Amino acid sequence: MAGHAAVLEDDSLLSRLERTLFKLETLLALISGIAVFFLMVLAVISVGGRNFFNQPVPGYIDWIEQAMPLIAFMGIAYTQRLGGHIRMDMVIGTLSGRWLWAAEFVGTFLILVLMILLVWGSWAHFQRSFDWNAPLWSRDSSMDIALPLWPAKLLAPVAFSVLCVRLVLQLWGYGRAFVLGLVEPVAVPLVQSAAEQAAAEAETVSDGED
Amino acid sequence: TEWNVSVWGKRRAFTEHIEKLAELVSKKTNGEFTLNISYGGLSKNTENLDGISIGAFEMAQFCAGYHRDKNPTITVLELPFLGVSTLEQEREVSQALYKQPAVVKDLARWNATLLMPSPLPQYNFVGVGPAPTKLADFKGMAVRATGGIGQAMEKIGAVPTSMSATEVRQALDSGVVKAVAFAPHAHMAFGTIETGKWWTTNLNPGTVNCPVVVNTDALNALTDTEREALLGSVDEALDYYIDYYNNNTMKKWGPALDAHGIERITYSPEAIAAFKKEAAGPVAAAWIKEMSARGLPAQKLYDFVEAEIAKTAPN
Amino acid sequence: MAAIDIGIIVTIIMFVMVLVGMRVAFAAALSGMIGLIWIFWSKKGYAGDEFFWALTVAVKTAGQVPHSKIASQALSLIPTFILIGYLAYYAGLTKALFEAAKRWVGWLPGGLAVSTIFATAGFAAVSGASVATAAVFARIAIPEMISVGYNKKFAAGVVAAGGTLASMIPPSAILVIYAIIVEQDVGKLLLAGFIPGMVSALIYAALIVGLALTIPKFGPPVGGFSWRQRFAALPGALPIAFVIVIIIFFIYNPFGGDAWGTPTEGGALGAFVVFCMALWKGMRWTQLKDALLETAKLAVMIFTIIWGVLIYVRFLGFADLPGAFAEWITSLHQPPLMTLVMILLAYAVLGMFMDAIGMLLLTLPVVYPAVMALNGGEFVSAADSAFGMSGPMCAIWFGILVVKMAEFCLITPPIGLNCFVVAGVRDDLSVQDVFKGVAPFFIADAITIATLVALPQIVLWLPSQV
Ligand code: NA
Ligand code: NA
Repeated sequence: MAGHAAVLEDDSLLSRLERTLFKLETLLALISGIAVFFLMVLAVISVGGRNFFNQPVPGYIDWIEQAMPLIAFMGIAYTQRLGGHIRMDMVIGTLSGRWLWAAEFVGTFLILVLMILLVWGSWAHFQRSFDWNAPLWSRDSSMDIALPLWPAKLLAPVAFSVLCVRLVLQLWGYGRAFVLGLVEPVAVPLVQSAAEQAAAEAETVSDGED
Repeated sequence: TEWNVSVWGKRRAFTEHIEKLAELVSKKTNGEFTLNISYGGLSKNTENLDGISIGAFEMAQFCAGYHRDKNPTITVLELPFLGVSTLEQEREVSQALYKQPAVVKDLARWNATLLMPSPLPQYNFVGVGPAPTKLADFKGMAVRATGGIGQAMEKIGAVPTSMSATEVRQALDSGVVKAVAFAPHAHMAFGTIETGKWWTTNLNPGTVNCPVVVNTDALNALTDTEREALLGSVDEALDYYIDYYNNNTMKKWGPALDAHGIERITYSPEAIAAFKKEAAGPVAAAWIKEMSARGLPAQKLYDFVEAEIAKTAPN
Repeated sequence: MAAIDIGIIVTIIMFVMVLVGMRVAFAAALSGMIGLIWIFWSKKGYAGDEFFWALTVAVKTAGQVPHSKIASQALSLIPTFILIGYLAYYAGLTKALFEAAKRWVGWLPGGLAVSTIFATAGFAAVSGASVATAAVFARIAIPEMISVGYNKKFAAGVVAAGGTLASMIPPSAILVIYAIIVEQDVGKLLLAGFIPGMVSALIYAALIVGLALTIPKFGPPVGGFSWRQRFAALPGALPIAFVIVIIIFFIYNPFGGDAWGTPTEGGALGAFVVFCMALWKGMRWTQLKDALLETAKLAVMIFTIIWGVLIYVRFLGFADLPGAFAEWITSLHQPPLMTLVMILLAYAVLGMFMDAIGMLLLTLPVVYPAVMALNGGEFVSAADSAFGMSGPMCAIWFGILVVKMAEFCLITPPIGLNCFVVAGVRDDLSVQDVFKGVAPFFIADAITIATLVALPQIVLWLPSQV
C-alpha cells in the first residue's frame, strides 16, 4: 500500500541530482493537491450559483475535466520516488543483497520502457489535438464552452517524462548498489517490511492534533 | 478480411444500419469480409476519430458535436432550425454534404472517409420540475444539449451542460440538468423518460450529425469485391435504418410517453417563430464567421446545405 | 493464434508480474501494451516489416488512455473523498466522535469496544479510506480500552475491524472505483453502501456484546454519564452529521423532489465544511500543505492503477476475453448462486495476498461481465433473471458484495493491511497479536456476507427508492 519508503541521502552526485529532482517532483505534487482544493471550491461555487442565483457555472464539467489530469498525472514521479505505487512485496521482500538490486533493476527497467512508450503515445494524443494554424491552436475542444483540450493532454507526456528521469536515476542507484554490493544504497526507495510501511503510514496522521 | 467497428452504448435504433451493413457485407462475400462491431470496447466515443486516424480499428461512428474542432465542416448540419423535417431528407442532405471537397478534406486529416450518416429526427427536451410552458421559462435552466442546439438554447438563457449520454440519466435524477435534448430513441435508451415529467413536442431546434466513417487506408486495401460489397450495401442499410426508426422506434414513442405520464408541451407557432428568429440567424452567422477564420469555405457550405434542404423538401 | 488465446496468455503474464512484485499499475499497463502490440501484429500475420506498424498503433492506442479515461467527472470524487478524510483529522472530529460514542453506548456490555465500532462507523461517513481510519483510531481508542482492562490484542482487533467500515459507508473511494470500472451509477452505489455498512457495524457490535456476556473479565461497561454530559458531547461530533446529511441529500433527497446536486458536489461541499472546521480548529498552511500532498499522493497512486488497468482493459476489448469468460461461466452446470458464492470465495483467497484496490481493478474487467451474464445480461428484467433482480440492480448488489470482500481482505492474514497499520501505530503489539485479536471479526464478516447474499433487499432497498 502507499507509504513513505526510506530514501537515503549522501553527498554523491547521484544523491544530489536525486534531491534536486525531488524538489521539482514535490512542487508538481503540490500543484496536484491544489487542483483537488480548486475542485472543491469550484463545486461550492457551482452549487451556490445553481441553487441561490439560478445561474449554473457555464462549463462546470468542462473545467472538472481539465483539472483531473492535473490531479492524476502531476504527482506520478513524486509517488514513485517515495515508493508509493503499490505492489505485492511478498516475493521481492524475501530477496536481499545483489539479488534484490538485480530484481529492482529489472523491474525499474521494464517500467522505464513502458513509460518511454507512453510518452510517445500520449505525445501523439496531444499532437492530434494541437494545430499551429487553428484558433487557440486547438483541434479538439470541450463540449460546452469549447476549452482547448491540448493543454490537459500535454500534461500526460510532461509528467511521464519527469517519471522517466526519476526512473533513470533509480536505475543508476540500483545498478550502483548491485555493482558495489551495497546494503543501504542512496537515491532508491528501500523495501520496507509491511509493518515498517504501516508505521510510516500511521506517521502521516500523527502530527495533527494529538 | 476482418474489420473492427467502434460504436458505443448498446444496440439500438441508432446503430441498426451498422448491424445491417455487417450482415449484408458478410452475406455478399460469403463470410470473407466481416465487420466485428464493438459497443464501447475499443475506444471512448469522443475518441473514435483518433482511433480511426491511428488505425486501431477500421470503422467507427461519432457525433460532430462531441468535438467541433475535429470536424468543423460537418457541424454545419447541427446548426439550429435548418428546417429538415424527415429522416429521408436528413439522409439526402447529409450524403450530399459528405461529398463536398471541403468536407472530404476535413475528414482526410483523420485518415477517414465518410461512409454514411445516422439520420436522426429533430431533438426535443424531456425534463423534470415545472414545465416550461413559455420559452422564457428556460432562462437559467441547466440543459443537456450539444452543438448548435446548445447554442440555440443559450440564446434564450438556458445553460448547456454536457456529459456523455450514459451519464445523462443520473444528471437528470440529481437535478444537475433539468432537461435533456435527445431524439426519441435515445430518450428511451438512456432512461430520461423514466424520470422526466414533460416533453416538448415541437421545439425542434435541430439535430445532431453522427456519421459512420472508415479508415481510408483500410478501405483502399480491400479487394474490389470486398469494396463493392461494402459500398454497395450502404443504401440498403440506410433504407433499413430509416424504416426501423419510423416504424419501430416512433411507434413506441407515444405509448412510452403515456406509460410514464409525461406531459406534452406544445408551443404556439408564434413562439417558435420568435425562437427561430432569435437563434437561427445569429448562430449561423457566428458559425460562418468562426469557420471562415479557420480558412474553411463556410459561406459556401452553408449555402449548399440551405439549397439541398430546399431541393429535398417533402411536399 | 486467436485473439482470445493472446488474451489469456497476456493475462497470465500480468498476474505473474504482479505476484513477483512489479508495481501493480505498471504491470497492468505493460501487459496491456504487450497485448496490443501482439494483437495488431497478429492481424498482419506477424510479417517482419509490419512490426513497427503494430508497435506504433499499439503505442498510440495505449497513449490515448491516460488522458481520455482520467478526464472524467465521475473520477473527480476520489480525490475529494480522500481530502475530506485528511481534513476531518485536522478538524478534531475523531476524538469528538469517540467521546460521544462512549457517553451514549458505553454502558453496554463491552461498551468501550462497541463505542469504538460506532465511532469508526461515524468517521467512515467522512472518510473514504479504511487504512487512514484504522490508523487514526488506533491512537485514540486502544489506550482507553486497555486502561479499563480490555485484552490488548482484542482492543487492537476492534480498531482494525472497525476501520474497514470506511470502504462501505459513503463516501468510499473503493465504491467509486467499482462504479467507474463497471460503468454504473456512482450515486446509487454510494447510497447502496449505507445500509450494509450499518448492518456490518451492528453485527460487529452484536459480536462484541455476545463476547462480553460469555467471557468473564472481558472489559467493564463505562457508564455513569448523565444525559447532560451525553448531549454535551454531541456538538463536537455534529459536523459529521452535517456532512452525512449533505452527502446524502446530494445523492438522493429522502423527502422526494430533486437531489441537491451530484455526488461530486456533495463530496466537495462536505470537504469544504470540514475544511472550514479545521481552519477554525487552528489548521495552518503547513498542515494544509501536508494534507494536500498526502491527498495528491494517494490520488495519484489510485489514478495510476486506474489508467494502467484501463490500458489492459482496452487490450481486452480487442481480445474479447471478458466475452469468452462470461460464456464459460454461464455454461457451467450448476446453480448460478453457487457460481457466485465460488467467485466470492475466490476473492476471499485472493484478498489474503493482494491489496484491495489492486485486486478489484485487476479482476473486475473479466469477472463483472461474467456475473452480469450469470444473472441474465446487463438489460435483463427482474422477472427473467437468475438472482431475481434487474441488470442494474445486480450490478449494485455485486458491487457491495465485492467491496465487503475487499474490506474482509483488509483484516485477513498474511497481508491484512489494517492489522499492519494498527500494529505499526502501537509499538507494544506485533502484527500476529493484531491478527489474533481481529480473528473473531472474521465470523462477523462471514455472517454479514451471508446476510447480504441471502437478503439482497438490504442492499437494494435504498437505491431502488431513487
Ligand atoms: Na466512508
Ligand atoms: Na488480506
